[in-house]
Amino acid sequence: MKNKIITLSFLLYIFLFAFLGIIIKDKEISYEERRTLSLFPQFRYDSTYINKLEKYVLEQFPFRNTFRNIKGNFSYKVLNKLDNNNIYLKDNYIYKMEYRVNEKSIDYFVKNINKLRSLLTENNKTYIMIIPDKNYYNGEDLFLNIDYDYLYEEINKLNISNIDIRNILTKEDYYETDTHWRQESLDKVVKELSKELNFSYQNVSYEKHSYNNFYGVYYSEAGIKRKPETLTFLTNEVINKAKVNYLENSQLQTVYNINKLGGFDPYEVYLDGASAYIEITNDMAQNNRELVVFRDSFASSLTPLLINYYHKITLIDNRYISSNDYKNLINFDNQDVLFIYSTLVINSSYSLKG
Amino acid sequence: MIFSSAVFIYYFLPILFLCYFLVPKKLKNFVLLLFSLLFYTLGEPEYILVLLLSCLINYFFGLLIEKKGKKRYLIIAILYNTLQLIFFKYTNFFIDNINLLFNINAQKIPIKMPIGISFFTFQALGYVIDVYRKRYKAERNLLNFMTYLSMFPQLIAGPIVRYSDISKELKERKVTFDTFAMGIRRFIFGLAKKVLLANTLGELLKYLVSSSVLTSILKPIIFTFQIYFDFSGYSDMAIGLGRMFGFTFLENFNYPLIASSITDFWRRWHISLSSWFRDYIYIPLGGNRVKKIRWIFNIMVVWFLTGFWHGASWNFILWGLYFGAILITEKLFLAKYLEKTKVLKYIYTLIIIFFSFLIFSSNSLGDITSELKIIFGLSKAPLINKEIIYYLRSYLVIIIISVIGSTPIIKKIIIKIKETKFKKIIDIMEPITYIMLLVLITAFLIDESFNPFLYFRF
Repeated sequence: MKNKIITLSFLLYIFLFAFLGIIIKDKEISYEERRTLSLFPQFRYDSTYINKLEKYVLEQFPFRNTFRNIKGNFSYKVLNKLDNNNIYLKDNYIYKMEYRVNEKSIDYFVKNINKLRSLLTENNKTYIMIIPDKNYYNGEDLFLNIDYDYLYEEINKLNISNIDIRNILTKEDYYETDTHWRQESLDKVVKELSKELNFSYQNVSYEKHSYNNFYGVYYSEAGIKRKPETLTFLTNEVINKAKVNYLENSQLQTVYNINKLGGFDPYEVYLDGASAYIEITNDMAQNNRELVVFRDSFASSLTPLLINYYHKITLIDNRYISSNDYKNLINFDNQDVLFIYSTLVINSSYSLKG
Repeated sequence: MIFSSAVFIYYFLPILFLCYFLVPKKLKNFVLLLFSLLFYTLGEPEYILVLLLSCLINYFFGLLIEKKGKKRYLIIAILYNTLQLIFFKYTNFFIDNINLLFNINAQKIPIKMPIGISFFTFQALGYVIDVYRKRYKAERNLLNFMTYLSMFPQLIAGPIVRYSDISKELKERKVTFDTFAMGIRRFIFGLAKKVLLANTLGELLKYLVSSSVLTSILKPIIFTFQIYFDFSGYSDMAIGLGRMFGFTFLENFNYPLIASSITDFWRRWHISLSSWFRDYIYIPLGGNRVKKIRWIFNIMVVWFLTGFWHGASWNFILWGLYFGAILITEKLFLAKYLEKTKVLKYIYTLIIIFFSFLIFSSNSLGDITSELKIIFGLSKAPLINKEIIYYLRSYLVIIIISVIGSTPIIKKIIIKIKETKFKKIIDIMEPITYIMLLVLITAFLIDESFNPFLYFRF
């Protein structure tokens, strides 16, 4: 009797999932994982076909997210693993372990910054601000981190005014489920910048707008279920009236792209996410100062708070654009030039273009 | 294709079950052959002809050897199989070494090794040799022979099944709920060993990159458990699948990590390979019924070949010779002393095994010496570092499960419980456990990247 039950339950199980796999319509996109999924691969008589087929079956597997949750929970709770696929959970926060300082990458980053500096004139004042990844604030010595001291020492060798914000940030300034920082926490960063960049900090008031269904990038990797968090973006008259020119998206003329809130990555609401070249003009500015920001995605949420202090801000994300493509768009003269990069990009910097 | 894949578990198997159990008895071997060829073609489309040719040639030579009884036909068959293996597996190794020896730059041939060639070639060699020795009659039915040589459960990573072990079942076999359920048990346990343990240990090894004395000591130990669960898991799946279709393959592993000597270890590890070398190389060379010096030579030849079989690389040859030398030492005097100890013999055996897998997993002789330098404190590496502490903590439960899982403790406990009034609980829990394991295995497969079996390299 027992053997009959074992046989029938096994057969039922595999046939059921095979059947469900066939009848359930394939999904092109997984919002939970923030990526497109494999579709049925066209048959080819070669040894790679079976791998493509396997990838397709796994990515379209019935209840895929439930299975991912089972794996995540089993790893954390039963196997007692400290991380699952390098993702670890602590005090409601999801972190991705960024381990092993990549010396070559840091070297490449330093060379890249020096290349960018060669585009500048003597009148340009340059500053660099490194944003520590969330792991820096995990409050635990157990997890493996990059060697921050080494990284900062190497950056200091650039001999650019370094705005060190390590001591003014806390883990609460970052999203629980995402890699990025919260815009509503960045006033203190603006204050810190004002000291170095020499603009007079003002206690500006903002209107808060909330998106309550935000799941960050680490959530998609963690394989666990949890409540969404709130993403906030700030507006005021200066931000609303700013003229914004996106090189790749001429339709959009505002600081925030609220259409992105329902998409893969709601953090892209800030300055349209991955944008190579953006010019923001503030006609309400009390001065004629200009700022050029070479940056990664962390600057997207910070820059709106700087609009108030400059007549013009130009953002260049040199992961997506090289100097050949923007040298005709900008004339370096006497602007403030701020390099804003997170330790994550510095430690994996090969996508930066000269 | 590999067993631990969703395509195999959720599509290949159900379709095969439908076809196999719905067709009349006389077509069952045909269905099995067809699916075996499909299984091979999906994984290795370029080399399906190599497998088919091997089937045909060995089938005809089997008949010819039986009919004529002449040694020269056996020699041709042996040469065909051996040269096929040498060509695909060892040509580039020889070219590399000739280049090195004579300082020339001969081009390598653009060829990759057909999956499973080491296994099906050894099965074919055993078959033609046994037919010549008149151990059994050559298979008359081409379909049966092809089904034997290319049967998908054991086709690409063993066990090396002897024709005599399944010749009756090729003609007449019965599948009952009992045998099928037995097959399911083995298959799921094998899958769990591979997906839950071996892959996770492999992932741990991948993370251990910073050098420390403790890391260098633990890496070969973890690798030993990984390869054990990987390979014995594969054998379990093969044996289980065989049972589902009415075949009984001999066991390939018997808790090798609780062996009390290296001699004992090789009676428990990859049994089908060591018994193949014993029957087809060691005994024909004269075995131990020769002078001592010749006997030592015989053992070293067998272990040179065993090492070389594992891969076209010097570390595998060294690995084989290392075992040869230890086996000789044990047989000459060490075994007598070891037998008298209670615990030491197990510690000795484990140390020898762990070190063997340091050789096995190294890319060069330089790698071995540098790891040894670290282990014995002759390098600048610290005793311990943050990385190893973190990963030991993170993988502690998996390591404990692996250690317990490599012994028969759980099996013994379950047998004991079955003798008590709690037998019913075990009976109820068993089917639930299998489904839970399948769910967990699927969850791990979905979350993991692609993990081919280690023994496919060989």
